Amino acid sequence: MAYMSMGEAHRRITEFLNRFSDAVFSQDVASLKSLFALSSNPPFLLSVADALNIFQDANRLIKQSDKYSQFGEILVPLFRSLQNYKQGSLVEAYQAFEKTANAFIQEFRNWESAWALEALCVIVYEIRILAERADRELSSSGKSPEKLKGAGSFLMKVFGALAGKGSKRMGALYVTCQLFKIYFKLGTVHLCRSVIRSIETARIFDFEEFPKRDKVTYMYYTGRLEVFNENFPAADTKLSYALKHCNPKSEANIRMILKYLIPVKLSIGILPKDWLLERYNLLEYNNVVQALRRGDLRLLRSALQDHEDRFLRSGVYLVLEKLELQAYQRLVKKIYIIQKQKDPSKAHQVKLEVIVKALKWLEIDMDVDEVECIMAILIYKNLVKGYFAHKSKVVVLSKQDPFPKLNGKPVNS
Amino acid sequence: MANQGSNTETLAPPVVPRSLENQHLDGSQEQPYSYTPSTTGSQAVSWTAHSSTENGVYSNPPYQYDQHTQPPPRSFQDGQNTSSVAGNSSNLGTANVPQDYNAYTSYPSSSNPYGYGSAGYSGYYNSYQQQPNHTYSQPVGAYQNTGAPYQPLSSFQNTGSYAASASYSSTYYNAGDYQTPGDYQNSNYGNQTTLWNNGTYSSYPSNPYANYTVDSTSAYSSGTSGTGATSMEYQQHYKQWADYYRQTEVSCAPGTENLSVTSSSTCPIPPVTSGYTTPNSEPQPAYAPFWRPDSSSSTIPSMQPGAITGVVHDGYWKHGGQSSQIHHTNPIQPNYQNPLDLPCSYDRFQDQQKTLPSHGPNLQYPPAHQVTPPPLQSTPSLDMRRVSKMQIPTNPRIASNLTFGLPKTNRDSSTTSVSPKPAYISVSLPKPTEKVSSNDAASSIIKPGMFPKSLRGYVEKALARCKDDKQMAACQAVMKEMITKATADGTLYTQNWDMEPLFPMPDSDMVNKDSSQCSTHDSSLPKYKRSPSRRARSRWEPLPDEKPVDKPVLTSDDTMKSSGWVQNEDRKVVGEKEESKEDGSRNTKFSSLLQRTSSKTPQRTFKKQRLADALVASENGDASSDSDKEANLTAYYPSAMAFVDSPEERKRRENRSKRFELRQGHRAENNHFRQNAGAGNLYSRRASAMVLSKNIEDGSDRAVEDIDWDALRVKGTCQEIEKRYLRLTSAPDPATVRPEEVLEKALLMVQNSQKNYLYKCDQLKSIRQDLTVQHIRNQLTVKVYETHARLAIEVGDLPEYNQCQSQLITLYTEGIEGSHMEFAAYNLLCVILHSNNNRDLLLSMSRLSDEAKKDEAVKHALAVRAAVTSGNYVAFFRLYKAAPNLNTCLMDLYVEKMRYKAVNCMCRSYRPTVPVSYVSQVLGFSTTNRSSNEKDADALEECAEWLKSHGAHLIADNNGDMLLDTKASSSTLYIPEQEDAVAHGDANLAVNDFLARAPL
Repeated sequence: MAYMSMGEAHRRITEFLNRFSDAVFSQDVASLKSLFALSSNPPFLLSVADALNIFQDANRLIKQSDKYSQFGEILVPLFRSLQNYKQGSLVEAYQAFEKTANAFIQEFRNWESAWALEALCVIVYEIRILAERADRELSSSGKSPEKLKGAGSFLMKVFGALAGKGSKRMGALYVTCQLFKIYFKLGTVHLCRSVIRSIETARIFDFEEFPKRDKVTYMYYTGRLEVFNENFPAADTKLSYALKHCNPKSEANIRMILKYLIPVKLSIGILPKDWLLERYNLLEYNNVVQALRRGDLRLLRSALQDHEDRFLRSGVYLVLEKLELQAYQRLVKKIYIIQKQKDPSKAHQVKLEVIVKALKWLEIDMDVDEVECIMAILIYKNLVKGYFAHKSKVVVLSKQDPFPKLNGKPVNS
Repeated sequence: MANQGSNTETLAPPVVPRSLENQHLDGSQEQPYSYTPSTTGSQAVSWTAHSSTENGVYSNPPYQYDQHTQPPPRSFQDGQNTSSVAGNSSNLGTANVPQDYNAYTSYPSSSNPYGYGSAGYSGYYNSYQQQPNHTYSQPVGAYQNTGAPYQPLSSFQNTGSYAASASYSSTYYNAGDYQTPGDYQNSNYGNQTTLWNNGTYSSYPSNPYANYTVDSTSAYSSGTSGTGATSMEYQQHYKQWADYYRQTEVSCAPGTENLSVTSSSTCPIPPVTSGYTTPNSEPQPAYAPFWRPDSSSSTIPSMQPGAITGVVHDGYWKHGGQSSQIHHTNPIQPNYQNPLDLPCSYDRFQDQQKTLPSHGPNLQYPPAHQVTPPPLQSTPSLDMRRVSKMQIPTNPRIASNLTFGLPKTNRDSSTTSVSPKPAYISVSLPKPTEKVSSNDAASSIIKPGMFPKSLRGYVEKALARCKDDKQMAACQAVMKEMITKATADGTLYTQNWDMEPLFPMPDSDMVNKDSSQCSTHDSSLPKYKRSPSRRARSRWEPLPDEKPVDKPVLTSDDTMKSSGWVQNEDRKVVGEKEESKEDGSRNTKFSSLLQRTSSKTPQRTFKKQRLADALVASENGDASSDSDKEANLTAYYPSAMAFVDSPEERKRRENRSKRFELRQGHRAENNHFRQNAGAGNLYSRRASAMVLSKNIEDGSDRAVEDIDWDALRVKGTCQEIEKRYLRLTSAPDPATVRPEEVLEKALLMVQNSQKNYLYKCDQLKSIRQDLTVQHIRNQLTVKVYETHARLAIEVGDLPEYNQCQSQLITLYTEGIEGSHMEFAAYNLLCVILHSNNNRDLLLSMSRLSDEAKKDEAVKHALAVRAAVTSGNYVAFFRLYKAAPNLNTCLMDLYVEKMRYKAVNCMCRSYRPTVPVSYVSQVLGFSTTNRSSNEKDADALEECAEWLKSHGAHLIADNNGDMLLDTKASSSTLYIPEQEDAVAHGDANLAVNDFLARAPL
């Protein structure tokens, strides 16, 4: 920064204070929220931060006028936060900002209308971003990162200020989504439950009335939770909703949604087109889809093996692993089709040793007992209609629709 | 009770006479009275201590005691006790505490001022406090509370206290009975409780020695089996320890033994307690008033507290009756013949001795002590308890001895602690003097008493290092030189003895010279030693069989030792008496006896000696490191301080560091703390840290949460290999914490033990606890947790396993080597099979390193996971049979579920039938693959049974082979209720198991 004179610094600080008080008194949200959005590094805020570094006695300015001093609780820590933010000490910046936010919530509670909701949303966002950065700073200096956790509990407080009634409730979903982000990042997903319950039960407000961006985010995260629970129909519904309403231009978001939606769709028997995977760069699913199409168990296993880390981290590994049964089903179906071509009258009897042989070709070493068990499971889970005759070691297929399609229903478990 | 009441009321006057008489009696045969009372009191005290030790909380108990004064102490001893104390005593206990404190404060400051009263009182207080803590408090508790409430609460420790109370009441009664000692003795044998008192009394009157023996015997008899065992142990301990005690503080040792005896006696007493309680009830009131006055005036207030405590104790005792017995039995077994135990017993003895000293006065003045003693008692009791803790294993044995010894010791201690005071002095003077002279050079050195506390502490430390009498003697010689030199240089008081490095251990040969002197003491010591060892055995060793044998030995030893003990005690008493100025009149005798006693310092010295003895004992037992010793010393200091809270100490303290000033400022608290520390003589640094922190807190806030627990890191001194697990409710007592070497042995012992899981689990938990409190995190820690985890897996104790596993994970991440992979596999299996949480599973899987994924066990676990998630029962049961390590055991817990799922699946997919032989083979009933042999037939049978019990329909085909009718079965399958299911879900917690495990 170029050198700034004392007068200039004074001028800028005063301007900031004026903007703030003007925005509050005129209920100008757009102006107000810009004064809090420091993580996007707006030039004005940065220059104020510089001015604060030069003009040490900013707090005196706040106290000088009633116009400012009534917001001293908000402004004093905000200045401190700005200063620290500019100097790169993010932990300090976060702590000061949380004080500001706390004071702002007090004010917000007192305001009848929800005019400042957007400003509050900015604050909530800043809280999360600052906490994440502060944690990075903490962990790089060997300390335990705890600010994000603190931000989580602070946001719960904000949520409490919004969840009640009236127009302020509009902001509740935004806070919820920020909480989701925090919880998913921290791995404390179980904490989502209380927030979800509050959103889904207290239906003073129709869900559809929430802002679309919040709805999409909310559906994305709740869909992911359903994936963890292996509740595929619900996950499908939520993720599909998110995909449908997601801004088509934000491809990154679409990709994130597809990352979970594809495994969900696969497990209810719906395979994606190849172009979709290419378009959104989800090639790790390519081989999985191929394997399901061909009944190629080996390919499926190797695809899982190759991307094991990724799948484990995103949490879809177990979902994909369960696709094996579908691969077996496909394999048996292929055998059945071939037999049918050879001898339609005996096609519905698939000998166990044939399946064992087919698996051998796939270099999968399973003995008769194990294959018999797999076949029993296939029948048990209704992936194959028919029965198994133990004496003759033959899978007797139903003559009608021996391989029922899932058609959007999950595999019986 | 009437006696008690009178005593209490008269406390000052009557007490004095009694105490005097008692003391005298002790000294001579007349003393029997005093002895008996004192013994009873001491016993009671010792009981409490013992009981506490037995409880395992021992170390804690002292601390707690200290903190809470008497009531707390009790509570400390048992977690329950504390609560009970609170409940019981809320009134009493609380009142007691303050009173105690007051008494203490008054003592230190006014102990002298009281002069007569103070002397008597102080003596009383001291003795009372000690005894009162145990006995009185117990009686009081019984009285006020009538024992019932209290009993439940503090049953464990109280048992000891109860016994004490019982003994008190009995003692009081005995007072009348005293004359009929013979009867009592007889009765003792016949009647455990009454017998005790009687026996002790009788023995006392006749001969101190006899008393001792009688006491021990009585205790034993009362204890019946337990006592018998204890007696045996005692004897052994005595023998072993005799030397030590002699050298150091024989009297203390006796006291400890006595304490142990008392404990043992108390155990039997429980039944008696009711009777006691009633008597107590009467006395209590009287006591209470007295004590209260004491608190204000010193004696009276303290009396009440004591009474209160007594009540608690009673409750404890009553409850404890059972527990104590158990404990005793346990201790006896372990104590037997354990060399390690001996050291422990030493420590304990020393501790006891120390405590005893403080208690000593109490013993004499049991009633009075109880009242006033609260403060003192609390300290003494604490000490005792600590000692007891130390001795816990040996306690039973010691208990008997201790009870006797305690009385004596108490007297001594009381004199010393109280400082004093004449009554004690007078009583014990004759013997004490002799003892003193003959006794420890160190003690003699110290006794002169004029030495600064720090020097005492130093001496104690030095003595604590000694592993045997010879060393003790040598150390004493060296120290004498040092002190003489210091005196000549004029640095005696200026030198910071606390900081002074210990001189190198002199050759034991050197010591031998002194040993002759000590030999007399040694005789007593051996008894003590024996008693500790007995205790140790009783606690830890599950060898009830030894009891009979031990008993005979013990009896002989006891008799032998008893004489020694008496002497020792007397000596101590004398010293104490001398110390206790208040005892003046009585002290006169003592004073004459005790050259040292003239001043308060003598008392201190005695205390120090006792402490030192305790230290020595501990050191002997543990051969603890210097640091331990130092720690002990520091602990001793506080304890000593606590004991000495008497005026003398105060003065000294004032002159000393700011610390002390702070303590003084918060005397009551400080006293408590100190008491705690003292109780924990072995507490070592921790105790001192506690004291410091407390002091600091006192100064500022007292917030327990602010204590820097790291600073309280304990260095264990316990040598017991076996130790029962007891959840800590206060700062651990180094005396009951085993150092790493011992823990290693303990682990080995557990690993090689043939006992059941409950026993091993208990032992391992106590090992884990000791590791934790000492902040030991190394390969041993990993081994312990791994061992425990494996055992838990073997028996399917998942909660315990999970505890170990979570600890192991952090230990492994700290880079400590162990069977990392093995446990990674267990962890996986656990998550897969038992938590059913996908997120956890994903987390565990994603954390596996590539290296881990190549490990056999981990691969197996992952394969199991795959089999489970896909429902592949064939793969599951193949893996089940090929499982490495203990994976099988974890899978075992899932087998039932897997089989049920599998049968469900088969019934749905197979038509028309499945041979049972196939089911049996696939579901892991048969061990071999389709091979038809006898085993297979059994497996078939088992499989068929299993299928039937789950609602499957079986039919026979033409060949007579069993077939599963899948269609018929598919709708009728169900999971039968577990036949061996227990309402609370854990068959391991069956009542019978609990009962069966108690004797462990």
